[in-house]
Amino acid sequence: MQDELKPTGKPLWQALIGAVLTTVYLILLLKVEEQSEVIGLLAGGAVLLLLLTKTGHLGGIGNTLHSREGALNLLVILGTLAIVGFFYEDHFTLLLIATVMLYVLATLGLNLQFGFAGVLNFAGASFFGIGAYTAAVLGAHTAVPSLLIILVGGVMAALIGCVLLLPVLRTRGHYAAVVTIAFALLFKTFLEVNDILGGPQGLQVPSMKVFGWDFNNNVALGDSVELSFYFSYIIVILLVLIAAFVLVRRVERSWIGLNLDALRLDETAASCFGLNIVRWKVTAFLLGNFLIGIAGALYGMVGGFVAPTSFTFADSLILVSIILLGGIGNVWGLIVAAAIVVIVPEKLQAIQEYRFLLFGGLVMMMLLFRPEGLLPRSVRRYFPGGAER
Amino acid sequence: MDIGFLAQYLMNGLMLGMMYALVAVGFTLFFGVLDVIKFSHGDVLTVGAFTALATYLGLEQIGVTDPATQILVMVIVSTVLIGGLGAVIARTVILPLRSAPPLNTLLITLMLGTVLREAVRLFYPEGGNPKPFPALLPTDSVTFGNFNLRLDNVLMFGAGVLVIVGTQWMLNRTKLGLAIRAVAQDEETAKTMGINFNLIVFITFALGSALAAFAGVMNGLYYNEINFGMGLLLGVIGFSAAIVGGMGNLYGAILGGFLFAALQTIGAVALPFASAYKDVFAFAVVIAIMAWRPTGLIQEKVSDRV
Amino acid sequence: MTNQPPANTTADAAKGKPLLMARGLTKRFGGVVALNELDLDLNVGEILGLIGPNGSGKTTFFNVTTGIYAPNGGTIEFDGRDLTGFSPQQVYHAGIARTFQRSRLSLPLSIFDNIMIGNHMRLTQGLWFNLMNRRAFRQEYEKSFETARALVKIFDPPLADRLDEPVAGLPMIDRRRIEICRALISQPKLLLLDEPSAGMTHDETAQLMDDILHVRGETDGLTIVIVEHEMGVIERITNRCVVLNFGSKIAEGTFSEISEDTEVKQAYLGIE
Repeated sequence: MQDELKPTGKPLWQALIGAVLTTVYLILLLKVEEQSEVIGLLAGGAVLLLLLTKTGHLGGIGNTLHSREGALNLLVILGTLAIVGFFYEDHFTLLLIATVMLYVLATLGLNLQFGFAGVLNFAGASFFGIGAYTAAVLGAHTAVPSLLIILVGGVMAALIGCVLLLPVLRTRGHYAAVVTIAFALLFKTFLEVNDILGGPQGLQVPSMKVFGWDFNNNVALGDSVELSFYFSYIIVILLVLIAAFVLVRRVERSWIGLNLDALRLDETAASCFGLNIVRWKVTAFLLGNFLIGIAGALYGMVGGFVAPTSFTFADSLILVSIILLGGIGNVWGLIVAAAIVVIVPEKLQAIQEYRFLLFGGLVMMMLLFRPEGLLPRSVRRYFPGGAER
Repeated sequence: MDIGFLAQYLMNGLMLGMMYALVAVGFTLFFGVLDVIKFSHGDVLTVGAFTALATYLGLEQIGVTDPATQILVMVIVSTVLIGGLGAVIARTVILPLRSAPPLNTLLITLMLGTVLREAVRLFYPEGGNPKPFPALLPTDSVTFGNFNLRLDNVLMFGAGVLVIVGTQWMLNRTKLGLAIRAVAQDEETAKTMGINFNLIVFITFALGSALAAFAGVMNGLYYNEINFGMGLLLGVIGFSAAIVGGMGNLYGAILGGFLFAALQTIGAVALPFASAYKDVFAFAVVIAIMAWRPTGLIQEKVSDRV
Repeated sequence: MTNQPPANTTADAAKGKPLLMARGLTKRFGGVVALNELDLDLNVGEILGLIGPNGSGKTTFFNVTTGIYAPNGGTIEFDGRDLTGFSPQQVYHAGIARTFQRSRLSLPLSIFDNIMIGNHMRLTQGLWFNLMNRRAFRQEYEKSFETARALVKIFDPPLADRLDEPVAGLPMIDRRRIEICRALISQPKLLLLDEPSAGMTHDETAQLMDDILHVRGETDGLTIVIVEHEMGVIERITNRCVVLNFGSKIAEGTFSEISEDTEVKQAYLGIE
């Protein structure tokens, strides 16, 4: 434990190589179409990861980055930009990348609720859907600027979430679970039977427009290069995602994060030390739904279309699965898990249809044999690199 | 609105209540012996209904066409197989996580529910579409004014009552029931008295699951259609009914089941314009009741020791 | 070395005004009467031992005092204020901190985090301060870290350098120490210790009691109520004892007095 906090002396170049390799690997994975190649890449990647873990290289890089968090953040952003840049005119792949990023954004919100505060929410996809439908309705019927619509999407999700506040606050554990499950089922059924919101067919979502610039136009750079219109969306999403990541990270590394952990782990003990349970549960629930709603609004705009089938209970469970696979409460873990959960079924068409089944089974295995997840959350450090004492 | 029409609703509500009660009794049994909530219970019901349907199709294939025989075989095959499934679930999923936080049991059974649901959708031939379920019971009816009392409804309701009474009798009057109640009271003492704890857990899970399968068959016979998502609504409402009745309380669970059915039926009568919204209404009732009485109308025992 | 810590003689104690005063305190669980019209006075600066057979209402007294359970009847006055019906949060702010019979630390969290949970009232809780004003937060963090370190150091100097380790890896005695630190960090007026010896060996218990007396010496004669089954512990550190049975007080006095009491002997041995 002590070693982990000391600068390991491992030079940063190892981490740099790791980042470059990861980026190249992801580009390859996103590039190949042939199913046998996809399988080969996935298997190869898994084997390589196992080998590197066994030899301790992965742990070494992990430690380096753990103590050099600024470098880690920068590498991830640069890697993302490199991948996005590589696929600058490939609509399909850029949409896939945008989807991963939006899942990360949504699970950041869910992580506040479930990972930190222990407030169960099995209606994540519903709040995501509220954001998306808000974007559809406001975009089509009002002149509200797009960037504001994104915020309103978050606010709407938080507001409608308030309906559940009373039951969620008054119940614990399983009982709170059934309330959110009921809400998830209610929401989808409601969308299907409601004509105003398009019924089962759903609604078109107008594109994002900022200062008169329509995001659904491709971006021409000079005469020869034309960037996919998804490129602009991804830049906006990336900015929002960075802001949300910083926010969630700061929540974690503050007394608020401590409060949330304390109430998750032992409500009775926490109350005996003055912690206002209701205040912090509400904070986590609303803030979480706000982030999920924002992700949903962006999702609606990027996809240009929303329908009830995107916001089912199974989708909510996928969001929860991402948190569990990544390691409950670990913000880096959910990035890795979201990438796996979104990209693998999309590339490996054979399992596309079976994804709910497979991820359900995978999470069951995880809970039985490695309940702490792929990247277990480590002890809180209030400042990057450990505070000097 | 005349009496006959209301009677029709009443019958409908009673049937619904019976199905909810059967599911709720399962939840309450599991909670009784192990203090766990098994969220896959509704989907176990779905698997039960599909097992019965497959059995029916198999019987048709081999030329057994007598409806009474068909129903009998369907019920037996479905309850026995699903009972076995329940025991397997207890063995592989529930018991290994006994020492883990309760949250993990909740999550793993939720995921198990997804796996079962998806397995039905993917592996049952065209499982993604609603499946017609045969109407095997005699549909003769007696008419009182506008009210049409159908024999099949009466038979189903009667069978449901018999099953619940039988369960009740088994729990209160037999040695096995005594063992189940002993484990529910105090696991440690029950063990020292020589009760095979694991065996009782398996039997209880088998019993609860068999009840769900029975409810699944009943659901199919009543609506003449089943689909892979049917267990979600029945599971959520069954669980809520068990909570409202005070977890671990058998009578409470039955009462809770009929209470939810009554509310739903009243909703359907009072809001006739919104028949499309009947499921929305059902879920809203669940949320409202949980907000109103989060620990149930009948208090469960306090378990948080400080 | 004296076995008995000197009784505190501050102005309040001289006036004879009790720090905590329970009158007719009653708590029922269904048909079971866990506390039955209990009257109990606690003087400033004393260490009171609360003893009695299992189920005699000791922990219930703690739970009612700290607001986890609302009493069915009676009043609690603390430091001149009526505390009856207060929530656990309000009780904590009034200056009462406690430990739990079954150590209720947050195991995955670090030692520092666990102690800071007890420091809630001294930490700034605003959203803006925590999320946006990181410079001020850092100052508060560093100050709190030093405070926590100084406190742990009193118990166990090596442990004070390991505050960033998760509690899950610590042996029982260290967990107990951390739990007591968590209760002490807010500088309460009254400390309630619920069976601090549970789960520890005889030697560890003796060591922990040394620690508690030592800390008490450093903290200006803190008032303590201790629930304990180890009579050696009670004999060694308490000024006075109250014996409960079936939720009622059956004896009161110094340890040597109550250990001679026939009713107490009966209660423990079950002699009719």
